[in-house]
Amino acid sequence: MQSFNRRQFLQMAGLSSTLLLSGCGSDLFAGVVGQVTEPLNQRLDELLLNPQKPVPEMPISSIEPDKLIVNTFDFTPVIDPKLYRLTIDGEVNNPMQLGVKELYKLPLTSVVMRHVCVEGWAAIVQWGGVRLRDLIQLAQPKETVRYVYFQSADGYYESWDLRSCLHPQTLMAYQKNGEPLPIENGAPLRLAAPIKLGYKHSKWVTRIMLTSNLLPQRGYWEDRGYEWFAGL
Amino acid sequence: MTTDSPRFKPVLFPKQALLAKSFHWVNVVSLFIMLGSGLQIYNANPVFGGRQGIHLPPIFIGGWLAGGRDWHFGSMWIFSLNLLWYGVYILASRRWKHRFVGQPDLKALQVGKNPKRKAYSWHRIVYTAIVPVLLLAILSGIGMYKPAQFYWIVDLFGDWQALRIVHFMTVPIVVGFTIVHSLLALKVGGSRLLESMFW
Repeated sequence: MQSFNRRQFLQMAGLSSTLLLSGCGSDLFAGVVGQVTEPLNQRLDELLLNPQKPVPEMPISSIEPDKLIVNTFDFTPVIDPKLYRLTIDGEVNNPMQLGVKELYKLPLTSVVMRHVCVEGWAAIVQWGGVRLRDLIQLAQPKETVRYVYFQSADGYYESWDLRSCLHPQTLMAYQKNGEPLPIENGAPLRLAAPIKLGYKHSKWVTRIMLTSNLLPQRGYWEDRGYEWFAGL
Repeated sequence: MTTDSPRFKPVLFPKQALLAKSFHWVNVVSLFIMLGSGLQIYNANPVFGGRQGIHLPPIFIGGWLAGGRDWHFGSMWIFSLNLLWYGVYILASRRWKHRFVGQPDLKALQVGKNPKRKAYSWHRIVYTAIVPVLLLAILSGIGMYKPAQFYWIVDLFGDWQALRIVHFMTVPIVVGFTIVHSLLALKVGGSRLLESMFW
């Protein structure tokens, strides 16, 4: 009983210091609420996700080009496609670097999906690109791999569960609405999937790293309080 | 509530079943948190007009978007499970037969002469009507929370904006209901009825 209490106390102490670092007092309570309920909600997210089952697609006529708002946490990096390299590494047998030309040679998949932002708005968008699972297969992940990290040219970072990455509609996209991907939407390569909230969809991705464990840093917004799984 | 003895005619204090009071309490508190945190989320991107739309004064639960979401998706369990158990309770206790609006209430309103009976009918109509509104809030909420898994809910409402409007409209409806429901309860049973539901 005593050790349980001490353990609980230490957890609370660690929790409250992170919360103090994160800022204002009203966060504090919300942080505790999130710590209590988010594990349950994440279990629900995981249960709902079937990594084999595609989300029904929308017709091309339903695309809403002007509804997709550009959200960026810092600045917009301009990348020369000729110099661009995507690194895939971490716990893989075949780490690799791919240029734009090599990415374009891989099978192209198109998805017309609803892009849902954590803020509440949504837009129907067509994304075209390489299935993330094809890239992961090329890199030959070790059996212990459970998580995938994404690093972006602007310093944004994200982590996903492997199951969501293997979903057939999870793309590393280089097309938007039938056109080459615009810079402000993440050119030359960005994440896009109908199964997760918008902030999970890193733009300007330069590195994909496969890991067995979640690292202390889980994502730019997640480290500031957003849900990690963020399944739709 | 009749008494066996004809000699005593004690003053009848309205009494509520303990379970009914518990459901009512949990509903009041969890719904208040749902509203407060929901308006916090609303402010990140107002339903009408988006970022240029009308923002509400920042007095809500959670402090910012992520905090509001934590509260919203935490209390949604308490709110909706409470409503579910309440549904089981009114079925099992057969309260659904006589505690909600029915033919006699409509008759009292149409042909009745007793203003007290009429007020009571309105009271029953109003608190019966809020049940489907709360269920609609949950349905539209599930559609917004998991639109990929429950895409058919979004389709049911037409599109995303329609879904957002329906979900949001439950806020003014619930606020209006709270006022009307309290006033009608006061009119029908005075403060004694009001207090019987809480203590």
